[in-house]
Amino acid sequence: MIDFARVQKELVECSKDAEGSGIKVSPKTDNLVLLIGTIPGPLGTPYEGGVFHIDITLPDGYPFEPPKMQFATKVWHPNISSQSGAICLDILKDQWSPALTLKTALLSVQALLSAPQPDDPQDAVVAQQYLKDYQTFVSTARYWTESFAKASSCGIEDKVQKLVEMGFPEAQVRSILEAVGGDENLALERLL
Amino acid sequence: MENNAFKDENQHHQTFEPFVCCVCLDLLYKPIVLSCGHISCFWCVHKSMNGVRESHCPICRHPYCHFPTICQKLHFLLLKMYPDAYKNREKQTLEEERNMGCFSPQFNVYTHGSHVSDHSGIMPNCTITNQVSNSSSIEPLECLEQTGSAIHKGDEDTTIYSEHTSNETPEVFGTTSDEGKKLFHNEHNQQQKILIEDVMCTFCKQLLFHPVVLNCGHVYCDTCIINLAEEMLKCPVCQSPHPSGSPKVCLVLDHFLEEQFPAEYAQRRDAIQQSNLKAKPETTSCSLHNGKGEKITNPRLEVHTGVGCDFCGVYPITGDRYNCLDCKEVIGFDLCGDCYKIRSKLPGRFNQQHTPEHQFQRVQYLHAVRSLLREQNSLENFLIIAQDTMMANEEDDQNDSEAGT
Repeated sequence: MIDFARVQKELVECSKDAEGSGIKVSPKTDNLVLLIGTIPGPLGTPYEGGVFHIDITLPDGYPFEPPKMQFATKVWHPNISSQSGAICLDILKDQWSPALTLKTALLSVQALLSAPQPDDPQDAVVAQQYLKDYQTFVSTARYWTESFAKASSCGIEDKVQKLVEMGFPEAQVRSILEAVGGDENLALERLL
Repeated sequence: MENNAFKDENQHHQTFEPFVCCVCLDLLYKPIVLSCGHISCFWCVHKSMNGVRESHCPICRHPYCHFPTICQKLHFLLLKMYPDAYKNREKQTLEEERNMGCFSPQFNVYTHGSHVSDHSGIMPNCTITNQVSNSSSIEPLECLEQTGSAIHKGDEDTTIYSEHTSNETPEVFGTTSDEGKKLFHNEHNQQQKILIEDVMCTFCKQLLFHPVVLNCGHVYCDTCIINLAEEMLKCPVCQSPHPSGSPKVCLVLDHFLEEQFPAEYAQRRDAIQQSNLKAKPETTSCSLHNGKGEKITNPRLEVHTGVGCDFCGVYPITGDRYNCLDCKEVIGFDLCGDCYKIRSKLPGRFNQQHTPEHQFQRVQYLHAVRSLLREQNSLENFLIIAQDTMMANEEDDQNDSEAGT
């Protein structure tokens, strides 16, 4: 049986500090089993400026079992599946402790964004890229942030459209935009 | 369920810092202090424990194998400090316990009375023995009623206190409701109500200084315990062994005492420094980096998954296990091999009505397997489960050893 009184307290506690931490948790349905967490991309990383949504499912044994967390926003990171959003983080598995909360768990996920662990990957392709070609990794991650994690994230499509209208082929526009991490001006320079 | 949660929220204007349980995030109820010094509620500790191997403190991950007994000193301190909120917590917990069909130990009026009344002749250890002998003969429901009345009595006491001081406070609160007024007084009178007698070391009979709580729930100054250098620490009052090495100072309680009784606390500190008893500074540090934990469960011994010893509290029991044939409670009454030899006279840790006359049966691992089989009602199911658990155990062991390196 989920300890709903505690979940309720957690939500109140989290909303008190939402301004400072930028971390939000809100119920998806009325029953407090499905929740949505929101974390800002950490500054100084390719995820900066993005807002990432995380689907949270509370198991029956919560808080004695870890909450199930999965990125709803697509993200390019060695420890997060680029396909499913599954997160590889020890505290969400065997290192969970009932003294942790949804907020502290989300903080850890945020910290994971700043400090990838490519030796313990969730997404082998991303991890390989991270180890072998760090620059490409950074620009891909930035592009994904730009494309999927920006609130006003019609951004990338707008840029593609703009450049296509200038007369460049769409496929080339997309690949170059991705390569430069979504920066419109850089892409234009390359295209010219 | 959520409605309840919302309702609770309204009631909790009061802040219970620092006595908030890290697990349920509510006021601590029937607090247990782990050997690392961190506090949690009875059920929160029990539910956090691992049924298959050693458990870890939710806060510092300090490993431990024994389910400690409730710290009655803290229990009655909290009851005195937050009578209304604590009573609410009791109601709430009782309801959950009724649904589970499994109860936490109940404390009776007498123990409580001795803290409030002026019968200074009653020593804490007397009340403890009383509690033990009484609770083993009382039916659970009667016992619950008794606890109810105990709290009620506590309420009367607080009302008396409120009346006592209402002479000093002018009638500013004439417009507020009676309940609000009472709440105000409860908080207002906190400092008057908590007496040194409530937070005295059982050993030196002075204000607790750097309090440590043993596995049996009794509280001492850490200097009082260090003096009793023995191979296995034993509680001077109840003689229960403390199997987890030196207990760490309960910092929450220590800071509370320092705040509550600054003069007396400083006096105690000076006295201890003067007598050259080293108040070891490392005992106040978190146990995170202290590798010396409890002995880790020997993986070769049979593990009785999810079954703990009702005397020493080891959980899960490994090796020999003795199950009481006469205890009818769902949770059963079990002893580990060592405690079976001692023949404890303590009641169960879940309010089982166990008496020394009860008969035991040795549970061998195969027997445990067979009873599991009976529950499963199917050999195939069982085999699959057994295989899975064996594989899981192997994997986990590997993981553990990897993590260790």
